Amino acid sequence: MQKINRNVVLALLSLTSLVFLLFQLCYYKFYLSQKNGAAFSKVRGSQSGQDSTRWHVVRKFLGLISSHNIPVYLIDPLILGLVDKDIEQIRSSPGGPSPECKYFCAPRDFTTFALLDKAWKHEVGLFRTAEKMGFQWLKVINKDPRLDGMDDLSGMEIPLHYIFKLASHAIHLVVFYERSGNFLWHGPLRLKQHMDRKFVPFRKLHFGRYPGAYEKPELLLVSIDDLKVQIPKNPSSFLQEMSHSRFLECRYREARAFFQLYPDDASLDTVEFRKKAKSLLHLAALTLNNLGVKFWLSSGTCLGWYRQCNIIPHSKDVDLGIFIRDYKADIIPAFQKAGLPLKHKFGKVEDSLELSFQGEDDVKLDIFFFYEEHDHIWNGGTQAKSGKKFKYLFPKFTLCWTEFVELKVHVPCETLQYVEANYGPEWKVPVKTWDWKSSPSNVQDNGVWPVDEWDDVIQIY
Amino acid sequence: MDEWKPNPAVKPHKKRSWYLAWKYKLMNQRALRKLCQTGAVLFLLVTVIVNIKLILDTRRAAYEEEEESAQDYDDEMLNVEVPRHPVNNKKVLDVEVYSSRSKVYVAVDGTTVLEDEAREQGRGIHVIVLNQATGHVMAKRVFDTYSPHEDEAMVLFLNMVARGRILIFTIKDEGSFHLKETAKNVLKSLGSQVAPFLSWRDMWTFVGKKGGEVYGEKHAKSPALSTWGDPVLLKTEVHLTSVEDAECHWPDTELNRRRKRFCSKVEGYGSVCSCKDPTPIEFNPDPLKDNKVFDVPVAVIAGNRPNYLYRMLRSLLSAQGVNPQMITVFIDGYYEEPMDVVELFGLSGIQHTPISIKNARVSQHYKASLTATFNLFPDAKFAVVLEEDLDISVDFFSFLSQSIHLLEEDESLYCISAWNDQGYEHTAEDPSLLYRVETMPGLGWVLRKSLYKDELEPKWPTPEKLWDWDMWMRMPEQRKGRECIIPDISRSYHFGIVGLNMNGYFHEAYFKKHKFNTVPNVQLKNVESLRKENYETEIHRLLGEAEVLDHSENPCEDSFVPDTEGRVYVMFIKMEQEADFTTWTQLAKCLHIWDLDVRGNHKGLWRLFRKKNHFLVVGVPASPYSSKKPSSVTPIYMEPPAKEEGAVAVPAVAAAEQT
Repeated sequence: MQKINRNVVLALLSLTSLVFLLFQLCYYKFYLSQKNGAAFSKVRGSQSGQDSTRWHVVRKFLGLISSHNIPVYLIDPLILGLVDKDIEQIRSSPGGPSPECKYFCAPRDFTTFALLDKAWKHEVGLFRTAEKMGFQWLKVINKDPRLDGMDDLSGMEIPLHYIFKLASHAIHLVVFYERSGNFLWHGPLRLKQHMDRKFVPFRKLHFGRYPGAYEKPELLLVSIDDLKVQIPKNPSSFLQEMSHSRFLECRYREARAFFQLYPDDASLDTVEFRKKAKSLLHLAALTLNNLGVKFWLSSGTCLGWYRQCNIIPHSKDVDLGIFIRDYKADIIPAFQKAGLPLKHKFGKVEDSLELSFQGEDDVKLDIFFFYEEHDHIWNGGTQAKSGKKFKYLFPKFTLCWTEFVELKVHVPCETLQYVEANYGPEWKVPVKTWDWKSSPSNVQDNGVWPVDEWDDVIQIY
Repeated sequence: MDEWKPNPAVKPHKKRSWYLAWKYKLMNQRALRKLCQTGAVLFLLVTVIVNIKLILDTRRAAYEEEEESAQDYDDEMLNVEVPRHPVNNKKVLDVEVYSSRSKVYVAVDGTTVLEDEAREQGRGIHVIVLNQATGHVMAKRVFDTYSPHEDEAMVLFLNMVARGRILIFTIKDEGSFHLKETAKNVLKSLGSQVAPFLSWRDMWTFVGKKGGEVYGEKHAKSPALSTWGDPVLLKTEVHLTSVEDAECHWPDTELNRRRKRFCSKVEGYGSVCSCKDPTPIEFNPDPLKDNKVFDVPVAVIAGNRPNYLYRMLRSLLSAQGVNPQMITVFIDGYYEEPMDVVELFGLSGIQHTPISIKNARVSQHYKASLTATFNLFPDAKFAVVLEEDLDISVDFFSFLSQSIHLLEEDESLYCISAWNDQGYEHTAEDPSLLYRVETMPGLGWVLRKSLYKDELEPKWPTPEKLWDWDMWMRMPEQRKGRECIIPDISRSYHFGIVGLNMNGYFHEAYFKKHKFNTVPNVQLKNVESLRKENYETEIHRLLGEAEVLDHSENPCEDSFVPDTEGRVYVMFIKMEQEADFTTWTQLAKCLHIWDLDVRGNHKGLWRLFRKKNHFLVVGVPASPYSSKKPSSVTPIYMEPPAKEEGAVAVPAVAAAEQT
C-alpha cells in the first residue's frame, strides 16, 4: 500500500510539476515581453527589421498634430542618435521613398517629441480628435515656474507633458516654455495622486526625471522613414546639451522666508549696485559663452542665488567659477575687448589661478579657477602683500542650469554642500564683514609663493 | 513537496488494477525505478527553482515600479483636495431672510450667504439670485432705491436674470423712496403682493422663483415717518429642480461648454446666457495686415468688478488684430466671479493675493502684473497695459501697430497711450492725428520692457508707501523729461463709475463726454513727424501757418474762435515759468476739459480742437514757442478764483487720479 502510494504520489507530483513548469515558462516569457517592450514578442518581426506598430503610431500622431497645425519636433535621443550618424545623407536627400525603415522601426516603448508652448493654442479639439483616432492620452500639469518667483500670484496650472498611447506604443510630448534669459525650459514629470501610474512605464521616459534647460534650437524639416518631421538642425549638439540639461529652480519660498527675517535693502545704492552687477554678469556670461568656456556662479553670487534669489547688495562684486581644464588663454583678451580691464591676476594655470576684472564703478568681476582632485575640488587664493597662498576646499559637484537675473547660468547642483563648504552652517545669516582669508570655513593655508615667482603670480594693475 | 523523502524500503501492495500491475512490473526493474525517481526529483527541483525565480523577479519588478513612481514621479505635495461642495442630494433648501433698519442677512441651508450690518452702508434692496438646481449663489446685488435711478438699474438686472432662478429680496434701512412704478410692477410680476404698496421705511422680505411660484413674503409697515418698521424674519423652503431643467440646451461645442459652465455659476450677464440665440463669446475680428503688435503681451489689470471686466473683454476681443493668446487678466484678490468671466472667454487669468491697502494695493498689483507679464513672455519688448473699466476702440491695435516703432527707436519717448486727457467731444476732431505730451495719461498704454526692467521695477514704491502708481510714474525722477505719444481722439473709453477714486458725479464731469474712436482702420497721418526733432519742425510749421486770435476777446466765449472749419488758430496765455499753470487751469475750466491737474502739454503748448479748427495755446514767456508771438499781442491772463475755492480744489486733485 505504502509503496504504491509513493509511486502514485510521485507520478502525480511530476505531472503537476510539469504542467506548472510549462505554465510558468509561458507566464515568465509573457511577463518579460510585456516589461521589456518588444524584446521577445517582436523577434519575429525583426527578421525584416521592422516594427511597424511604432512607425504607424508615429505616423498617426504626426497626422494628428499636423491636422491641428501644431508644430512639434523630434527630440527622441535614440532616434536622433541614429539620425546623427546619417545626418549628411538625410540633409542632402529630402523626400524620396526610403528603402528600409531604419529609425522609427526599432522597437521601443516611446517616441519623444517637443512642443513649444507659444506655438499652439491649447485647443481641446486636439484631444477629441486624438480619442477618435484611438489614442489614449494623459496630461501632466503643474505650477507655472515663471510665476513662482512672485510671492503672491496664482495662475492656472500649465501643461508640462502629454503622453499619447496607441496599441503598444506611446508618444511622449514634452512642452517647452520660454523663460527669461532667452532659453527653453521643460518641467519635471510628477504624477498626482489620482493618476494612473501604470499608464506607461514612466521610468523609461527620457525626459521628465528633472526639469531641463535648453537653448532655442534651429530646426530642420527632414524626411526619415518616409515621415516628414522636424528635428534639431544639429542633432549631436542637441544630444550633448540634453546630457547636461538638468535645471534647478531658485528656492523662492525659502528666499521669501529669508526676506521676512532680513528685509531687503531698498536704498537707491542697492538698486544701482544690483543694476550694475546684473549688467556685469550679463557681459561676463556673453563673453565666456562666446569663448565656449563653461562657468558657474560661485562664492557670494552663488550664495545670493541660493539664499535670496537675488544679488546680495553688500557683496560688491560678482564671483564666477571655472574648471581649470576649461581655461583658455583668450579669456583675458576677450574680457579686455568687452571693456573689462584686468585688475589683478594671482597664481598660474598650474596652481591657484584667479583673475579679477574691473567693471563699471568699482563693481569687480572675480573669476576663480577650480582644480579637481580625486575626492575634492579646490580653488586658490593669494595675499598680494605677503605672497601667502590659501586653498578653499569643496566636495565634488556637478553643474546644473538655473535662471538668475534674466540669465541662464550654471550653479553647482549640490548647492547646499557648496555653500556650506564656503560659508559654514550659518550661511543663512547675512554677514556684512567678510574676510576672504579667514572667514570661509573651508580655507586652508597653502604655503607661500617663492619670491622669485612673485612677478609672475602676483600681478596687479 | 519539500517534505517528501524517498523511502525505498516500503514494499508494493499486491491487489491492484491493470495500470498499477504494469507499473509494479516496471518498479521491479530496480535501475529503471531509480532513474524515474531521480528524474522526478530533479524535475521537481527545477520547478521549485523556476518558481522561486519567478516570484523574486515579479516581486522586484513590482517593487521597483512602485519605488520609481514613489520617488521620481510623485508630486511631492499630496493632493489633499477635497471636493469643494459635497454632492447634495437634498431636494429642499431652507431659506432664512431678515430685514431690518440696521441689519440684513440671508441664510441658505444654515449657511449665511449675505450679512450686512455695517453702518451707513448697504442701504436699499438687497437681491440674491440662487441656482434653482444647486442652490448656489449666482449673484448678489444691492440697489440703493432710496436714491434716484437705482430702481432702473434693479429693473435692468432683474430682466437679465434667467427664468426659473430663485430670487431673494430684503430691505435694509430704506428702499422705497425712489422705487418707481415700473420697478414696483416688475416686483409684482414676480409674485410679490406687498411690493406695489411698499412705503417709507417699511421692512420687507420676499423669496420667489422668476416666472414661477412664490415661496414666501413678509412685510412690516413703518408706523410713523420717524420710525422704521419692525424687523422681519422670513423662514421658508425652496424646492430644487433637476439640473437638466436649470440649463439651456445649446449645441455641444467647446464654446458652449464654457458658456454652460459660466451660466450655471453666475447671473446678471444678460444675453450671453439666454437659451435662444445667446450672444457670441468668440468674435473673430478681422486680422490686421502687417500687425506689429501681434506678439505684444496684453495685461488686463482687474479687481472685483466682473461686470466691468465682461464689458471690457468683449470690446478688447472685438478689436481688429487682437491676439487672445497674448492676453492675461490679473485679478487683485481671490475673487471667483472675475475668474469665471476670464474663463468664459477662454483667456488666462492670474490671481494676486492683495498686498497693502488702497492706492498701495493697486500699485503693488500693478507691479506684480507687469513683472509677471514679462516673465510669461520673456521675448516681448513691450507690454500693453489695460484696465478693467475701459472700452477698447476697434482700431486700438491698428493704432499701436502704426506707432510702436517710435517707442522702439525714439529714446525720448516714455510711452504710447490710447487716451487723450483733453480729448472731449468738443475738443477732439481728427482720428489720424497724434501728439507728443509731457504727461502720462495711462488708461490703455504701452510700456517698454527696458524701461520697466531697468528703471521702474527696481525702485517701484514699496507696499508701505500709499502712492498711486500712475502719479509715481509721472514724477520727474521717473519720467526724466520723456514724453508720451497720444492720439487726438482716444482709443479707449473710461466707463467705470465705481472705483477707488471714482464716483458718479466725478465720472459725469470728467469722463462721460470723452471722445472715443469708432472708425475702423484709421490710417495715422505722418507718424514720422512724432519723432523728437521732427515734432519741433512740425510745431514750428503749424505755428507759422496759424492765425492769431483776437486777444481782446474772452477766450471762454464760443465767439473767441471764428465759425470756420479746418483752420489753425493760436492764442497766447500768461505762463511766467515752466510750472506756472494759473491761466491754463482757468482756461481748461471754462473750456470744460481736464482741469484738475495739468495734462497734455508739450513745452508750454497745448493742442486741441475748437469748432473743428485746430486750436493752439502757447504759454508766454515760459514756452520756447513764445517767439512766435507777434509783439503787438499781450498774453491773456486769467485770475484764479478766490482762496477758499482753491483750498477745496486741492483734495479734489488728490481724488481725481484715475485708477
